[in-house]
Amino acid sequence: MSYLEYNVQSVPTGPRKILYANWALVLLLTAVAGVGFLMLTSVAGGDMERWAEPQMKRFILGLVVMMIVGMVPLWFWRSMSGIAYLGSIGLLVLVELIGEVGMGAQRWLDLGFMRLQPSEVMKISLVMMLAAYYDWLPISKVSRIQWVIPPVILTLLPTALVLRQPDLGTSILLIAGGGIVMFIAGVSWWYFIAVILAGAALVYTVFASRGTDWQLLKDYQFRRIDTFLDPSTDPLGAGYHITQSKIALGSGGWSGKGFMQGTQSRLNFLPEKHTDFIFTTLAEEFGFIGGLSLLTLYGLIILFCVVSAAQNKDRFGALLTLGIAATLFLFFAVNMSMVMGLAPVVGVPLPLVSYGGSAMLVLMGAFGLVQSAHIHRPRSR
Amino acid sequence: MTRTPLRPLAQILKARVNGENPDAIERENLRQRHEEARNTSRARAEGRLLILGVFFLCAFFLVGLKMSLLAGSEPAEPRIAASGAQIVAARADITDRNGRILATNLSTHALYAQPPLMIEPERAAEELVKIFPDLNLDSLKRHFMGGRKFVWIKRRISPEQQQQVFDIGEPGLLFGPREMRLYPNGRVAAHVLGGAGFGREGVSSAEVIGVAGVEKAMDDELRDPGRGDVPLALSLDLTIQAAVERVLEGGMRLMNAKGAAAVLMDVKTGEIISLASLPDFDPNDRPRPLTQGDPGDSPLFNRAVQGLYELGSTFKIFAVAQGIDEKIVSRSTMVDITGPLRWGKFKIRDLRNYGKALSVEDVIVKSSNIGTARIAQKIGMDRQRAFLDDLGLLRPTGVELIEAKGAKPLLPPRWSEISTMTISYGHGLSASPLHLASAYATLLNGGLQIQPTLLRQDAYRPGPRVISENTSKQAREMLRQVVTRGTASFGEVPGYRVGGKTGTADKPKPQGGYYEDRVIATFASVFPYDDPKYVLVVTLDEPVETSGQKPRRTAGWTAVPVAAEVVRRVAPLLGLAPGVESVRRTGVTLVSQSNNE
Repeated sequence: MSYLEYNVQSVPTGPRKILYANWALVLLLTAVAGVGFLMLTSVAGGDMERWAEPQMKRFILGLVVMMIVGMVPLWFWRSMSGIAYLGSIGLLVLVELIGEVGMGAQRWLDLGFMRLQPSEVMKISLVMMLAAYYDWLPISKVSRIQWVIPPVILTLLPTALVLRQPDLGTSILLIAGGGIVMFIAGVSWWYFIAVILAGAALVYTVFASRGTDWQLLKDYQFRRIDTFLDPSTDPLGAGYHITQSKIALGSGGWSGKGFMQGTQSRLNFLPEKHTDFIFTTLAEEFGFIGGLSLLTLYGLIILFCVVSAAQNKDRFGALLTLGIAATLFLFFAVNMSMVMGLAPVVGVPLPLVSYGGSAMLVLMGAFGLVQSAHIHRPRSR
Repeated sequence: MTRTPLRPLAQILKARVNGENPDAIERENLRQRHEEARNTSRARAEGRLLILGVFFLCAFFLVGLKMSLLAGSEPAEPRIAASGAQIVAARADITDRNGRILATNLSTHALYAQPPLMIEPERAAEELVKIFPDLNLDSLKRHFMGGRKFVWIKRRISPEQQQQVFDIGEPGLLFGPREMRLYPNGRVAAHVLGGAGFGREGVSSAEVIGVAGVEKAMDDELRDPGRGDVPLALSLDLTIQAAVERVLEGGMRLMNAKGAAAVLMDVKTGEIISLASLPDFDPNDRPRPLTQGDPGDSPLFNRAVQGLYELGSTFKIFAVAQGIDEKIVSRSTMVDITGPLRWGKFKIRDLRNYGKALSVEDVIVKSSNIGTARIAQKIGMDRQRAFLDDLGLLRPTGVELIEAKGAKPLLPPRWSEISTMTISYGHGLSASPLHLASAYATLLNGGLQIQPTLLRQDAYRPGPRVISENTSKQAREMLRQVVTRGTASFGEVPGYRVGGKTGTADKPKPQGGYYEDRVIATFASVFPYDDPKYVLVVTLDEPVETSGQKPRRTAGWTAVPVAAEVVRRVAPLLGLAPGVESVRRTGVTLVSQSNNE
């Protein structure tokens, strides 16, 4: 269904739109961000100014951005998705070029007031692009091979650019995010099964070749994979974070040590305690209950998004909402698994909680798109 | 799948009979079909959503389960760890072939400031400038009082400096641990080691990454965490490297050259025992690359590896050896050298007139361009090309230096017959001194191909055969003749039986053509010639020897004496016993070999 078929009268207009926003979602986002402020204060040893305050400012800015994005009609965003995608690719290439000059691993662009990581923007514009693509494509063609190839290319192009930076975490999120949107859009099961089998076969072949004459990787590369998969072999190097964060989670127990009582994280055992590994502080100070509560909050955000999408008869809006929900899900699932040692450390922040401006703003902008889809959904008379 | 027709005949006929519009039936059916399609797609979308939901739920459950397992686990005692301890000795050491340290890591500190914590920013800035005179007082003050939250001041400071900064007593000046790469021998082997710099930097640690030389080429291996404490052993010998550099530097000054390079290689294994390039630099404090002018004049430029020069007459032995190996000529075959040799509009001349004909051996000893070109003509371009390729002269050397990848020999754009002739005496093909050393090693070690390497080889693996053992022996004997009665008479080092070939090539002008008074002088040698152990190549850039009436630039006057001095100094260090020649030629009076001539 295209927007021409909307019953335009039933879509709220003007300032009245604000009443139709998904306020439950706003509340949930604020709650999660609140957990973040609390933790950032605790990590800084009670010093609000260090991390919590800038984070609050950014969150408020984020809320404003979200509402502005939400007020703009969804069909504007649909027509923008191609431009957004190309723009993000352009930024990634730009970072690549400037990074060459700087000789370091530059992943961000300096905008003056904040530093923007193009790979963050890329995650959202990829979801937008794919949603617009499947909105345009008649459903009957979704599983035909010639129509499956373009979205695969659309996903792999930014992944390749991000992988060059190198940023493994974001590349995984991009591929998984693109895959989920394609899955919801109804691409045949067989493609997913084929890709998974091919991937498994490749991994198996690489590992099976180890120690034989036709070894596909060099020995030191294999050793690097070993430490990546099992950090305990290198407890002072790659495994350091994991060991320390596991200790923190263990010492938190079921109910935690209480606010600002965590020793592990505050005594500088953990680098990056305020960014990627902030979850350890939460788990230590508020224990299993605290951790589960945060998990539940995330779960509720996703649930609200899924419900909003299920009610949305506009295909673009529904796909966009689900895609963004999936991105959020991937973010915190990967981060939590990484902190708890379920997955290798790949450097993914805990959304809305970890200290960091560009991730927060981009995510809030993305939820603005969710709001826009929610407000401008076609309603029956 | 059976589809109901849009216009079922029975119903249409019935409608016609009843006088109704049969199109209405079609429209109704079409609507129904659309509805069905929409319902199936909707059902499918909902199904997909359900699966995704189940997947999300599983992930939630898994994370929750792991969390509860961890929460229930016995908490271990937190380990004491200084922040940043995770990067200690992250990069492997580099040693010479005997295990002496060439590069290692040193823990120092980085100095940074957090202006919000500062009490007296102005005084702090003034005191800092006293300790580090290279800092700028004004910009420091601006940084400290300009509302910035974080300022890097120095990347690496010494313990004394750290104490002095402590003594300022300013709480806003802070230190972060910082590993740095240390080259305890300073300039020795600078071009081989290259240097290291910082990659990603944080307050508590910084990545050390190689920026040039072995450090960059072997970066992955050096940073491999699974490597443990095993250092990277190079093939260099520190003692010999230092001696070669010392002698080469003296020689460069004496001969008024602007640059010099030397390569000393094990003739059988291809291990590089010493590789020197002058002017050099201190890898602890790498100079910046030149932004203007010729990058070849920068001290960072590795002449031995990156410098591609036309190496002149040193190439002649290749053509002669190939000719003998393919039985086109023998050592005593007479070659017509009446000149000039015309080829189209080109003329090939000799430096002097040596008469009408020379034996092949004398073509080498007297260094006749015409004679060599005639032999090359008989060999032909395809075979010549294949042979030079076997010697490794047509591709990058593959030695473990990042600079070696770009050093691809410059070949003529079109390999014609005239190229075959000029290349045979070393013009028209530019290669590095390292290329020349590798080619000499392959040619003179008995004819087995070697792969030049900077890593210590623990096992000797013979390469494929390029020429016969006998040809190799004859080539060495001819090179010996060059020293005993030819152009390289200054190359004689009593007891070490040096054989070698000189080469003097005019330097090309950037705008085309050749300079008349600027040359590259090269001496490529092997010692001892009757039991080959090492190959030594010495190259001087624009040497002038001024002791005579006229300035002399040929290799025999410049590169050869320097190379002889290198051999004289290094051969005992290499453990070579001096001896007398085992093969004595008849007709030569036996005299004791002594220095007092």
